Amino acid sequence: MSDINYWEPENLTDAVSILADRADQVRALAGGTDLLVKMKKGLTNWKGIVNLKGLTELKGFIYEGQTISIGALTQISALIDNPLLSLHFPALVDAARSLGTPQVRNLATVGGNLCNASPAADVALVLLMYEARLLIMGPNGSRQVSIQEFYVGPGQTVLQQGEILTAIEIDLPPLNSKGVFFKHGKRKSHEIALVNVAVLLTPHPGRKQIAQARIAVGSVASTQLRIKDAEDSLTNSLATLSAFEQAAELVKEAVNPIDDVRSTASYRKQMVGVLTRRALVEAWGEEL
Amino acid sequence: MKMSISLLINGETYQVNVPHKKTLLDVLREDLALTGTKKGCDSGECGACTVLMDGKPVNSCIVLAVDAVGKQITTIEGIGGITELDPIQEALVAHGAIQCGYCTPGIVMTAKALLDSNPHPTESQVREGITGNLCRCTGYVKIVEAIMDVSRR
Repeated sequence: MSDINYWEPENLTDAVSILADRADQVRALAGGTDLLVKMKKGLTNWKGIVNLKGLTELKGFIYEGQTISIGALTQISALIDNPLLSLHFPALVDAARSLGTPQVRNLATVGGNLCNASPAADVALVLLMYEARLLIMGPNGSRQVSIQEFYVGPGQTVLQQGEILTAIEIDLPPLNSKGVFFKHGKRKSHEIALVNVAVLLTPHPGRKQIAQARIAVGSVASTQLRIKDAEDSLTNSLATLSAFEQAAELVKEAVNPIDDVRSTASYRKQMVGVLTRRALVEAWGEEL
Repeated sequence: MKMSISLLINGETYQVNVPHKKTLLDVLREDLALTGTKKGCDSGECGACTVLMDGKPVNSCIVLAVDAVGKQITTIEGIGGITELDPIQEALVAHGAIQCGYCTPGIVMTAKALLDSNPHPTESQVREGITGNLCRCTGYVKIVEAIMDVSRR
């Protein structure tokens, strides 16, 4: 086993400069739940690891007005343990609870879930639905991108060499809205999603019509997607089962899943419709 | 390239010289002869290698040893003793929740962390708590019963 180079920078500036100077030779280590598995399988050609554990300022929650900022190195288990998130972002907590196992959740980080850019990622999907803003630090200073602009393809993001995702900001969702996360797999737990769905519905006052709908889907395209056509079909429409079924059909038309070891494209397409309809019914939350 | 590190395991400090790439699991088993922690899948799936890091269960096969510096590590060797079993170990024995025994150290560590943070869990909390520990012998019923039994004491 040939060993690797290893750094433990004590601050963000040092971490950025180590990552920037060594081009494709090194990788940043956060929770390690994917990085170490890839390394052991010999799937990597990089020669060094930059362990970010010393950047304690990238861990934990900051509350400011209507916004919660989640440090990129915050563990997934910390989302579950946070009562304010349970109150305001229940879908995020549900996604966190469905990710991996308790052991993995104690290691894996929110930033890692995003930067891996897996189309099946659970926490990342809900952050897409909650319209997160991603704060990035790099050799040329800091910048911010919307989560919609973050993904380029499977495993690929807009992060340039030397850039580190530092924080994820989410705003409180509209008053009276309800967010729902559903995941479909072969098991109830310890599962990578065959399909996952996150929706948010905001009713008009009086609760007959839908003011706003958000629909995000995962594992059905090369990146996770918001389905604008389906969302628009629900805006200002009456909340009926047929409206939700129509939106689910639009989702099925918009996705482009693949066959792989975990499922087939046709099954995924079918199930993304089923999950979307069920999630919308759940998010509306009363008799239709 | 090796690195000299000190690890705090079961309350004792160990000085080891390890390659950067070496996992906590391999250091425990190969360098420190703490072989109670088992290697199953070696990819963070099965939970046989579960140890506690600052009281929380983690898969030691996907933690670099160098990354465990500064943490309090608890392994199965730090639970109970040869003459005096931990109540969790006693209950697993009493309920016949062990067959081949390979998953057992990991189960004990996970159950310990679960009961430390939630002394009286519901059955579904116990089932959820051990989702990261695969057992291919007993089918989990007896394991769940054993952990529930400890929680009622």
